[in-house]
Amino acid sequence: MPGRGWCATFCPARASKHPVTRLVEITVSHAVLARACAGDEQAQGAIYAAVAPATLTLIRRFVGQRAVSEDLFQDTMMSFYQRLPQFRGEAPLGAWLRQIAISRCLMYLRSPWKRLCLSLDLADFRLGAAGTALVTQDYRGESIDLERALAALAPTARAVVWMYEVEGYTHQEIARAFGRSVSFSKSQLARAHLRLRAWFEPQGNRPSCTLI
Amino acid sequence: MHPDLDQQRSLARRLRELPDEAAQPYGWREFQRRSGARRRAGQGLAGGRALATASVLATASVLATASVLALGIIAVWTRLGGWSPHSARLTPQAAQPPAGRTAAMEHWLASLPSEPAVVHVGTRAAVTGLEDRIAQVDDLLSAERLDEAHPARLLALQQARTRLVGALVQVRYAETLADESR
Repeated sequence: MPGRGWCATFCPARASKHPVTRLVEITVSHAVLARACAGDEQAQGAIYAAVAPATLTLIRRFVGQRAVSEDLFQDTMMSFYQRLPQFRGEAPLGAWLRQIAISRCLMYLRSPWKRLCLSLDLADFRLGAAGTALVTQDYRGESIDLERALAALAPTARAVVWMYEVEGYTHQEIARAFGRSVSFSKSQLARAHLRLRAWFEPQGNRPSCTLI
Repeated sequence: MHPDLDQQRSLARRLRELPDEAAQPYGWREFQRRSGARRRAGQGLAGGRALATASVLATASVLATASVLALGIIAVWTRLGGWSPHSARLTPQAAQPPAGRTAAMEHWLASLPSEPAVVHVGTRAAVTGLEDRIAQVDDLLSAERLDEAHPARLLALQQARTRLVGALVQVRYAETLADESR
């Protein structure tokens, strides 16, 4: 059964230089899914191999820290397997898992104490102490710039950028996920865009208001 | 095309082209091991947790009620001008709350996370109630100091504050113990 879903299920772990894998693009064949729902460990392991890297990447984009990401990843995957028999197949499996992962991340980000910890980490990052939080040596130069720029954003702004630009959420969906208004999502995104542009655009090439 | 739109699309493209996370998650076996450990920990401590929660809630309720009563009495007493020069017979040294101990308690409180991993509504309500009352006493103290109030009145407020901080320490300590036993 050489369908796309089957291939995605059994692809080896993706290398770090591949473009980011969106969870929603990962599909699993009905046969494997049915076996996994029935409790077949081999099928569950196959699904894990397919979805785990993209899930961890997504969570890491939201919270940044490796240890916290692994904790949330474990929670997400446990919840995923507990609820798997209830999966009705109305959306791709990856989209369903993405929903679980994002809700876990947002619950984490909503906690005032966690927000404080993350903002302290962010301060460390700006001072250069954690400048390699999301960066590995084999990344391309441009990726490093963008990774640094993303890591320098506030966690909420980073989550909004990632949900909108990469995961394809609408402003309405982001607002609902955060329990805020649509203008919250729009303003977070606009401010994040400004900061991201300012980070990696050369000073001389910045558009000036007087050019109009 | 408007340069802003162009830049936005370029940014979105760059974000989508970012490489995957270099560090891969742990494997299926390790996931199963961690899941099993979490489930065992959850089951083993379920009974103890219920007991600990009940005791924390009871302690919190008693301490919060006592603190509210104490503060109410002090507030009424202060408002009605209950202090008189003759009522301040205690020597300053004997009546002064131990500043070092209060500072140590506050230092310990500051070292705690603002809330534990699992929050119980009853305990949290007691904690926030005590914190609010400490803030009210702080306001009163500031106002009294500005008005150059009599030292005995300041002393009474400081003692009330120390009692409230002590109550808060006890609730937070019980909460920490309950949190660690999970």
